[in-house]
Amino acid sequence: MNQVETINPANLKEALTAKARKDVVAIAGGTDILVKLHDRFDKLSPKLLILENLASLHKITASQKEISIGPLVTFSDIESSSILRKHASQLVAAASLAGSVQIRNRATIGGNIANGSPAGDTIPPLYVLGAVLELSSAKGKRFVPIEKFFTGPGMTVLRKNELITAIKFTRADNRGFFLRLATRQALAISKVSVAASIIVENGKIQAVKIALGAVAPTVIRAVRTEDFLKGKELSEDIINKAAVLVKEEARPIDDIRSIAVYRKEMVGVLMTRGLNSIAENA
Amino acid sequence: MKLNFKLNGKNVNIEAPGGERLLDLLRERLDLVGTKEGCGKGECGACTVLLDGEPVCSCLVLAAQVDGRQITTIEGIESDKQLSAVQRAFEQTGSVQCGFCTPGMVLSAVALLNKNPRPSKDEIKRALSGNLCRCTGYEKIFEAVELAAGNKQKRPVNK
Repeated sequence: MNQVETINPANLKEALTAKARKDVVAIAGGTDILVKLHDRFDKLSPKLLILENLASLHKITASQKEISIGPLVTFSDIESSSILRKHASQLVAAASLAGSVQIRNRATIGGNIANGSPAGDTIPPLYVLGAVLELSSAKGKRFVPIEKFFTGPGMTVLRKNELITAIKFTRADNRGFFLRLATRQALAISKVSVAASIIVENGKIQAVKIALGAVAPTVIRAVRTEDFLKGKELSEDIINKAAVLVKEEARPIDDIRSIAVYRKEMVGVLMTRGLNSIAENA
Repeated sequence: MKLNFKLNGKNVNIEAPGGERLLDLLRERLDLVGTKEGCGKGECGACTVLLDGEPVCSCLVLAAQVDGRQITTIEGIESDKQLSAVQRAFEQTGSVQCGFCTPGMVLSAVALLNKNPRPSKDEIKRALSGNLCRCTGYEKIFEAVELAAGNKQKRPVNK
């Protein structure tokens, strides 16, 4: 890899000013961007804005109502966070399945979101947690629900002058799961993933959100399956029907990692596995 | 840019481009060639070093990101010219064939044992899942980590 120029901001203000400049690309853990630079350096020569030392963006904070994750929080930090284990088990599962120890020690949640891959493992959990992204520029802040953030593979509504400065969601007691399939368990990008958050009261599903990864141009919600599950008990029959329904909500393609028919089928399989795990522990 | 960090316990002050990979900084500027470049994109773990005690791929870290941090390479885990327990265990179990993956494997194992002195076999496999070895088939490497952890006696020599 050839050398790239770096910008080393001392604080968030300097970082936001620099981000607005031409050809500046922010780098957090670097586990996506340095691979891209390695593979096709000749076509890219960005100035890399080093976010590493912006300590204020490294924190996980929780209030009575809300949990806020800094964009520089790593997958390893998520894995070992007791507050996230309690309130965002899907996110913890996703963070612990991605990459390898080395990658999880560097890869950040903000980078996973900003990279915009439909296969980004933290994204389906954030959909079902109803996460809202705080986007900051030198001019101010705006808040965008994560489901409105992605416009296509690798494409987002993040403006040239903005950085993701927080990922927030309501603190709630939900049950949930994140399941994925990839060529092997470590260091492989998901072919298909399913995340859910479910609130069961008196044996019936009171609230449910389901998100599917790597089976559409962006991560998507499976709203028809959610509607079907609301108010139902998690019997074998209901789980089987939900698995059939959810397959039809996936819109996968053939690509280097898998083929559409397999992905569609596996969405149903993962859904069944996930709902069974919830039913068994009810 | 001016960089100031701790490398294998010693302070290093060096002028280097911020956009240089840590891997190149170690190998080309500091002559620490125990750290190997395999894939150059985070998939093989041959370039593993410890950054503040945690294993990372030095091919995916930039010089500008290590200012003020602590780095341990394979050259830094001996003490008083004695091999570390993990290195001795690799030697005793015959975990080294071509040796290219060994520095990374050893560092991943050292980081695991620092955190979890008595890991299960599954925990060992998970901790080493970012380090590829094309020679050994991994079994002797897992055995070495178990031996270093004191979970296992040295295998009897077949005579």
